[in-house]
Amino acid sequence: MAEIGRVRIRIPSSIKQGDVVKVRVLVIHPMEIVQRRDGKPVDKNYHFINRVVVTYVGKEIAQFETTQSISENPFFSFAFKATEAGPLKVTFLDTQGGRYEGTTDIKFS
Amino acid sequence: MRQSRHRAAPAVLVAVLFAAGCAQSETKGVSGLPPTPWVSRAVPEAKGDFKTLPDGKRQALRYRGWTTEDFGEYRTYAYDDSRPAMAPGRGAMPAVAGDPKKGRSLFLARSLGPCTGCHLIQGDDVWPAGNVGPDLSTFGDRRLPDEYVFNMIYDPRHIFPNTTMPPWGTAGVLKPEDIVHMVAFLKTQKGPLRPEKDSERNPETRPKPVGFGDNLDSTNNPAVIRAESAESLWVRKGPAGKSCAECHPGGPLQAMKGVATRYPKYVAHYRRVMSIEDFLTVHSPETTGAPMLAQSADNLDMTMLVKMASNGMPVAVDLASPEHRAALDRGMANFNKRVGQRNHACADCHASGKGADRFLGGRFLGNAQAGLTRHFPTWRTSQADVWDMRKRMQWCLTPLGMNMLPADAVEYAELELYLTSFDKGKPMSVPGIRH
Repeated sequence: MAEIGRVRIRIPSSIKQGDVVKVRVLVIHPMEIVQRRDGKPVDKNYHFINRVVVTYVGKEIAQFETTQSISENPFFSFAFKATEAGPLKVTFLDTQGGRYEGTTDIKFS
Repeated sequence: MRQSRHRAAPAVLVAVLFAAGCAQSETKGVSGLPPTPWVSRAVPEAKGDFKTLPDGKRQALRYRGWTTEDFGEYRTYAYDDSRPAMAPGRGAMPAVAGDPKKGRSLFLARSLGPCTGCHLIQGDDVWPAGNVGPDLSTFGDRRLPDEYVFNMIYDPRHIFPNTTMPPWGTAGVLKPEDIVHMVAFLKTQKGPLRPEKDSERNPETRPKPVGFGDNLDSTNNPAVIRAESAESLWVRKGPAGKSCAECHPGGPLQAMKGVATRYPKYVAHYRRVMSIEDFLTVHSPETTGAPMLAQSADNLDMTMLVKMASNGMPVAVDLASPEHRAALDRGMANFNKRVGQRNHACADCHASGKGADRFLGGRFLGNAQAGLTRHFPTWRTSQADVWDMRKRMQWCLTPLGMNMLPADAVEYAELELYLTSFDKGKPMSVPGIRH
């Protein structure tokens, strides 16, 4: 598998101020689930992303709470209104304390 | 040669092999000779092997979910298969009363043809129909004699010698009684036609597929992420204590730049045409000591990694050397060779003026002459997996009633070379994303 925690962000190639921009984010993560037998966890050593935080020019604009039911190498897509130029940062936090960040610059053309 | 190896490290492999290729063709004159028998180095389900069941029946070992039926009685693409094409046959029309209802369900039966894969008939439940063959919605208006229609379905080659339609009776797919019912059904197909409720029902008015977006965007094509995992394979030491990176310095993107544009190519050392996949099956064990069986995950990932280093560069396969000319001839002959229970050739579905750019059921058939090769290995959205061209070929042919050849067979390699010749000069874009 490719290295864990590598974040890729895709935004449209040309953005105008005030546009509603669709962002596509993918992170490399195994998203290991809790193994259960007869309703009891047999392997508590689970490892999945449980929080995604999006900040735009230093301000938090969105937060997602995620569960083990999301696939390996999860892909997220969301839209936001590009009001000013600056960095868009997406941070992934997992159950084992992992913290993976990806940043892209919002520029107007 | 030793010197060039040190000086021009990135192109080592190709330079060495190319030089060796010239030498051999001059001294031995191998051009035109059929390739030597090849020992397959493919994963078990890609080898085309069989197992014998307790009751003595042979069962094919194929990929999970594929048919295990043995089609051994029908001819294949193997160069040593010299059996003649299936001879046209004639069946006596049995004296049973045709039942149009039975005929219609036979016409739609997925386990038989299905006839609707190529022919449109009336009915909103007919979906998806194809248009490789003529629209039969008003066939009854033509008032053709029953016997003529019976013979047309039993073995159309008496009437149309070069038809794409399989000889359903001669091949034993349809029994003579079945055909009588179908003849009765076809007589009921009369105009005037009611207006279509759904324009997608008729393949003539159905929109053509538009694709799945940017195939090189890792957030769009899962195969890109898989290919990147081969970067760790690139530096991993095999049992022989060496890794790819030690002989090919500079990272895969630099070291392999442009290499894939020249494949499939004749590799003199192995005396056969090889794709990247084929070459890795022997090159990896001989250098790093690690096996890289055809169709294995390692082989696919490494093939994608090597090919991605040539993305954007034009396909530059050699079409002029004697070895390649002979291989192209054999590949073209196989493209047009009728094989299997359905007596089909590749050309039936993938040549302009035949099935290419038409619908086979819901599937839009690719056009070989427009180039079908430069995005392989490709992500298949319908399979959620990466397939190389060999698996695609094996899949194409198994439902047509033919035993598959091993994934790394010379026959497939030369067919692939022939198909790649149509892509010459066009930019590579690996991995692709297709249905």
